[in-house]
Amino acid sequence: MSISDTTFKYSGTVGMQHEEPVLFEHAHEAPESINLPGVDGDISPELSAFARKTPASIPGLSEPEAVRHFVRLSQWNHGIETGFYPLGSCTMKYNPRVNEQVVRLPGLAHIHPDQPEETTQGVLELMYELQGWLGEISGLPYVTLQPAAGAHGELVGLMMIRAALDARGQQHRRKVLVPDSAHGTNPASATLCGMHTVELKSGADGRIDLEELKRHLDDETAALMMTNPNTAGAFESDIKEICRLVHEAGALVYGDGANLNALVGVARPGDMGIDCLHINVHKTFSTPHGGGGPGGGPVAVNEALAPYLPVPRIEKHGDTYSLVHSCETSVGPVLGAPGQIGVLLRASAYIAAFGRQHLHRIAEDAVLNANYVLNRLKGRYHVPFDGLCKHECLLTDEWQEKHGVKTIDIAKRLIDLGFHPMTVYFPLIVHGAMLIEPTETESRETLDAFCDAMIDIADACEAGDTAMLHDAPLKPFRRRLDETQAARKPVLVWPK
Amino acid sequence: MRFLPHTDSDRQAMLESIGVAAIRDLFADIPAEFHIEQGSLALGDALSEAAIMRKFTRAADKNRNATNTRYFLGGGTYHHFVPAVVDYIISRGEFLTAYTPYQPEISQGTLQALFEFQTMIARLTGMDVSNASMYEAATATAEAALMARRVTRKSRVVMAGSVNPRYRAVTANYLSRLDGDYVEVDMGCFGTDLDRVIGAIDASTACVIVQYPDFYGSVYDLAPLRAACDAAKCLMVVAFSDISAFALIESPGALGADIAVGSGQSLGIPMGFGGPHLGLFTCKQQYMRQMPGRVCGLTTDAGGKRGFVLTLSTREQHIRREKATSNICSNQGLMCTAAVTYMALMGDEGLNTVARHSAAALQSLVARLPAHVRAAQGARYNETVLSFADSAARDRFLAAAKERALFAGIPLEQIDAAAEPRHLLIATTEMVEADDINDYLDLLEVAK
Amino acid sequence: MTIPAGLKYTKEHEWVRIDGDTATFGITDHAQEALGDIVFVELPEVGRVLTAGEAYAVVESVKAVSDVYAPVGGEVIEVNDLLDGEPENVNSDAYGAGWIARVKITADDSVELMSDDEYNTFLEE
Repeated sequence: MSISDTTFKYSGTVGMQHEEPVLFEHAHEAPESINLPGVDGDISPELSAFARKTPASIPGLSEPEAVRHFVRLSQWNHGIETGFYPLGSCTMKYNPRVNEQVVRLPGLAHIHPDQPEETTQGVLELMYELQGWLGEISGLPYVTLQPAAGAHGELVGLMMIRAALDARGQQHRRKVLVPDSAHGTNPASATLCGMHTVELKSGADGRIDLEELKRHLDDETAALMMTNPNTAGAFESDIKEICRLVHEAGALVYGDGANLNALVGVARPGDMGIDCLHINVHKTFSTPHGGGGPGGGPVAVNEALAPYLPVPRIEKHGDTYSLVHSCETSVGPVLGAPGQIGVLLRASAYIAAFGRQHLHRIAEDAVLNANYVLNRLKGRYHVPFDGLCKHECLLTDEWQEKHGVKTIDIAKRLIDLGFHPMTVYFPLIVHGAMLIEPTETESRETLDAFCDAMIDIADACEAGDTAMLHDAPLKPFRRRLDETQAARKPVLVWPK
Repeated sequence: MRFLPHTDSDRQAMLESIGVAAIRDLFADIPAEFHIEQGSLALGDALSEAAIMRKFTRAADKNRNATNTRYFLGGGTYHHFVPAVVDYIISRGEFLTAYTPYQPEISQGTLQALFEFQTMIARLTGMDVSNASMYEAATATAEAALMARRVTRKSRVVMAGSVNPRYRAVTANYLSRLDGDYVEVDMGCFGTDLDRVIGAIDASTACVIVQYPDFYGSVYDLAPLRAACDAAKCLMVVAFSDISAFALIESPGALGADIAVGSGQSLGIPMGFGGPHLGLFTCKQQYMRQMPGRVCGLTTDAGGKRGFVLTLSTREQHIRREKATSNICSNQGLMCTAAVTYMALMGDEGLNTVARHSAAALQSLVARLPAHVRAAQGARYNETVLSFADSAARDRFLAAAKERALFAGIPLEQIDAAAEPRHLLIATTEMVEADDINDYLDLLEVAK
Repeated sequence: MTIPAGLKYTKEHEWVRIDGDTATFGITDHAQEALGDIVFVELPEVGRVLTAGEAYAVVESVKAVSDVYAPVGGEVIEVNDLLDGEPENVNSDAYGAGWIARVKITADDSVELMSDDEYNTFLEE
């Protein structure tokens, strides 16, 4: 074997893949139980009357078996630490390991939300500082850290907007305008807030069409929910006019901060006229996605909306920090806890690492990387909207479809080549969307390898070598899964 | 900046290939008036890794924590034992840094773990199916109310006054912007009188929400309520805050719950000042398609091998948008992995031991209370309310206990604003040792 | 793709077979094809009174969902329970085993209905 092994081009590989049964198939009897501390005494006779009659049938494994089981499962996963993860609108950036150490400090991990406040000043101080930072970064100085995720932040933001309109005596304003390119959470959150949505058709450039907006703005409009940059990766350059029109109509502008990674440290939504913005800390501020969560969706608002922030609020009086639970104008409690503290601490550590000196470099390199990918692929894939992109770029399968190859095939082939696919079939405003977000933490080498892979796929289409694309992926632990079967006859639990 | 791989020459080469002169040119579509000056934001100075650890350690050191203090605190957050393996597994990058498993071929690890999680949670709660998590218990309770309204096509929600006040407040808040009544039934001080709840049910009622064991720790039979719900064709929703109970006492499913929701924090997740915790959502099979949130299901791949996918997605916001069953997208995925790892390490026997020790610690304490402190009556799992002569006596005790590195309970009015300030909500787990209980009882002398 | 004669069609791609005062509802072959593999049909309750144009059922595929609207008004007297376990019937036999509901027509209440030829032209447009 030569030192320089050039036999592989992409990291996609068939490695040592272990099958692993589901836990309930481990047939042997439960091993000796784990040694547990505590009081090995009697329970009360009153409680005994409620004793569970049949055990739950939770199989127990010995420690080595359990470790091997879950380590094997982990090996069937692709994570950002394993490889490139260019999911558009998801901001899959590297998650610094020091942040994991931070949240495991006993003084932050093993504290109770209801222990005496004088014994939690340290965590409150960190949260208070983070509120200030997020206010400064967004240009919207009043912040709640409570929302547990982006969608939760949307609901909380809309609650505040609704409360502000009600306070003006405008209970009839219940209409929320949502562009057709928006995340599905936007209309779903509006419904949950007792409002109804009207979809705005995007203009030919994928952006908000001012005429369409004007047509729908009226005295029943409560808010426009917009994502900027939008989900096609384009900055809404008319932002100032959009906000002016909405405000002139007596409504407010809600900003979906899912794409804040394009702006962080470079420009501030609050300066542009946005009234209320949720921030996905699991995107912009690099808290790990964890296979679906936990996330964090702090909401930042301007002064007009500040009275309506949810409770509890973290306040500082003198040198003392406290959780304030009552406030007459507040929209009330939205979570049973002060927030997803462990997630927020990681975000705080990420911001601290960049500091005021370097924060803008997040957006700069993120946008540079997306434009680099766009530029390399634009001759080989159809680009629906011209011009520079921001932190993500949008392609479609229009050119490949002529060869019978669809977005889904391209995505699955990428897996065989060692890359997580981009976001597919979103946004809904173009046919066969492929939304690519490289983030700032990827090297040029990785971007080039990914672009090479995409170009190889385009070549294969043109050469008519499409069977392998339809069959892909062939290399991972499992091939394409039958989603129809799963949904027709749902099996959600292992039978007893 | 150590998280950014590019060198300046990389950047220059990339800019050239794009055809622009400088990075700022990539932002030309943002109106110039909105560009902010580099370094002008009022943030801290950039910190090295060592400086970050120093900063956070200093802050952490200001907080008393369970490594230096004994905890008798509950109310929705519990200090249970977390085996080292749990934290190791959820620290693995393949679980930690993966996205939602939308590409199942390369997410089978997360998906199988979710399937195992759903199965174990369904078994422990005695319910047919579980979803793949909600944020936490209060929002899960609100979602249960919303689901009951969809299932029954009725809109009135009856909430028992013995449900955790935070779950009540969040549910009331969620419902307040929608049509339909919301009724909270006063059950008196730590009351267990279900008849009052039953009396509040009418033909328009979509569901009744009770907590079991309730917020004040009471365990009582729900059979009369089940019968009343059947008669009125409404759903019985059972909330819970410490799921460890169900390894010892009868499960919500066995008591006839249609929907059971609550916290899974006790399953291997540290208190973490309130989050991230784990919201659980379970229901009967027939209501499965009205559940909020993601679910994982079993299927086969193109080669005929068993595999797992996210399924029933048409309920969710990314497909059904304004008609979705919920707006939830990100959930508590990693916490599910923690919980399933914890349960696999424990098994029935370990879970039962946790529950027995938790209950035994409370029993040992309550049985030896001095005459000047009273405990609420009736069956209790690991939580109860102690009543003192007055708030001064209670607060004297709390202060003395804190001095002896013991958090003796939560002043009840801190969570339940309606409570008199002489009550103390206390909880025990397997982390409470016999000596801690002796110390607790000794300290009660100051409350005389 | 088939468009049988003798049925009436709506612009929302439903079909209706009117037989005296009884009407049988379903979705067209075109509709099932557009949706892809049907995984679930949410059926209405027997006894429910529908007005023409009212959404009375929901048809779901893996990645899409569609409301189904009543072509004519009436009271639901029967639903196709078989779809509960075998929603694929809508794919394989949209006009037969894939029927969704049967109503008793109680009033002169109908959306704009097309003949098979008209529907064919409508699809081509």
